Amino acid sequence: MIVTKIPDSMFDDTISERVRPLAQAFSEGGLTRLTLRDGDFELELRRAPAASAQPAVDARPAGEPTPARPTDAVLADVVGVVRFLRPPVTEGMGLEGDRELAFVETLGIRNPVRSRGAGRIAAIYVTDGQPVEYGQPLFAIER
Amino acid sequence: MFRKVLIANRGEIALRINRACHELGVSTVAIFSEADRGSLHVRHADEAFCVGAGPVASSYLNIANIISTALICGADAIHPGYGFLAENARFAEIARDHGLTFIGPTPDVISAMGDKATAKRIMQASGVPTTPGSGIIATPDEALAVAEEIGYPVLLKATAGGGGKGMRAVESPAEMASAFATAFAEAEASFKDGRMYVEKLIRSPRHIEVQVLGDHYGDVVHLGERDCSVQKPSHQKLIEEAPAPALDPAVRDRLHEIAVTAARAVKYTNAGTLEFLVDGPNVYFMEMNTRIQVEHPVTEMVYGVDLVKEQIRIASGERLGFTQADLIPHGCAIEVRVNAEDPENNFAPAAGTLGRVEFAGGPGVRVDTHVYAGAVVPPFYDSMLAKIIVTGRTRESAILRMERALSETRIEGVKTTVEFCREILRDEEFQRAGLGVDWLPNYLRRRTPVHA
Repeated sequence: MIVTKIPDSMFDDTISERVRPLAQAFSEGGLTRLTLRDGDFELELRRAPAASAQPAVDARPAGEPTPARPTDAVLADVVGVVRFLRPPVTEGMGLEGDRELAFVETLGIRNPVRSRGAGRIAAIYVTDGQPVEYGQPLFAIER
Repeated sequence: MFRKVLIANRGEIALRINRACHELGVSTVAIFSEADRGSLHVRHADEAFCVGAGPVASSYLNIANIISTALICGADAIHPGYGFLAENARFAEIARDHGLTFIGPTPDVISAMGDKATAKRIMQASGVPTTPGSGIIATPDEALAVAEEIGYPVLLKATAGGGGKGMRAVESPAEMASAFATAFAEAEASFKDGRMYVEKLIRSPRHIEVQVLGDHYGDVVHLGERDCSVQKPSHQKLIEEAPAPALDPAVRDRLHEIAVTAARAVKYTNAGTLEFLVDGPNVYFMEMNTRIQVEHPVTEMVYGVDLVKEQIRIASGERLGFTQADLIPHGCAIEVRVNAEDPENNFAPAAGTLGRVEFAGGPGVRVDTHVYAGAVVPPFYDSMLAKIIVTGRTRESAILRMERALSETRIEGVKTTVEFCREILRDEEFQRAGLGVDWLPNYLRRRTPVHA
């Protein structure tokens, strides 16, 4: 797991106090990326690639197995407004192959958001009509 | 006045615009690339949106994502800063078509002045002196014919050029073919526009530019001149000052008059700069920059005018708050560009993470910067880390103050231009003033390299 973007103003003890429970939930939830903003505090948790060596923060209690199923985050590749399809996809939904999950509307142009393969929707991070920035996680897909 | 302005830039100029907006009571939206997430311009803005990956084509030049951000945030205007989309007429037009005010001149004027050959033609028609030269030429043979007529040495220039790219000096007919090929290739690569023209090369002229402001009611004023003759061999400016030292008062008046006449002729609105080559009593119009410039602070310090606030006021429809008679310069201001570059290695740009960062303070010192200790300098953008601007009652006192300010400046982690600029300030020829643009390249040739 990689932890980035801790403001200089934060002390080490505050970091561990606030990050540890989050990191645990992140780890157990099988997510690959989690961004949290609270005023001045901004935290991004990302799962390190499999090859990566030492994790920066490891909140998993010793002996607990790594979640078995890998999860991919589907990110916004444009700035725009998320539009869900009718009917919208739901958490837990199985995907048989590559399919459109939603689209991001940019200056009236429809930019499809695709699952890029089969899997199961593990999480939906956005709501219909929500503005999103470049790189913002929209869905988590369990492969 | 606007409610919310989107700042379509990064680095110190984004921060500079943010400051002007906040002082005017206008809220701000920053845009940033993934490489700039930790940048100060993001932290100081009221809202911030990531618009793309590190490379500029994905982020700071991504028109769709930038306009989309402005619309999502409910911004009513866009300030483009300098570089990136600042002189992109299409961007100004698209902003306008989406109901956003572009803080700058109209797309027509940007487009006319952005094309160097067109700009020169318009200026000639308004009675502005220009260097002898050609229209667009398509082949080395055409260039040879023009050079024969106006006499060597000549300068081959890309009409879309800037920052010294797509430009080559040609001393004799034998050099033409290869110079044409290199300049053309550079222009194609940098601007996707390989159209070239030829002009008479004036040996070591001074680079003196005049700042103008025009409102939407036909009023135009100038805010004096800046001397930007201390340029690296790549023609990039390194040290700028206002007013231009050791300049004949008659030449100075003439430059100011020409600048205002030219700006009126194109119905110029917002802030702009007319660049001139000055060769003794002769002045030649070079180009007009339709944006705020990097070196604008020296003018601000001498005239006591906040140029960025004036840009925003003008764009929002306000009249100029002063007449030419109200604008009286005081003292002298010098700016040094602190770049992440190695002066001992052809000013090669550097990227990396900064260690200790300490800037100067005290009387008469202004530092415009976006960096701090631990900041990351990404490899994707220009290498400027900070601008140090000092004022003094005289040029001599300003030079001494800049020397002092640079001696207080510490930036660790990357090589910078700080020590090199200190060396320049101590040079007798620099202190004597009135140098031409060839001075620094010649200085570098005869200088013994300093090995750290």
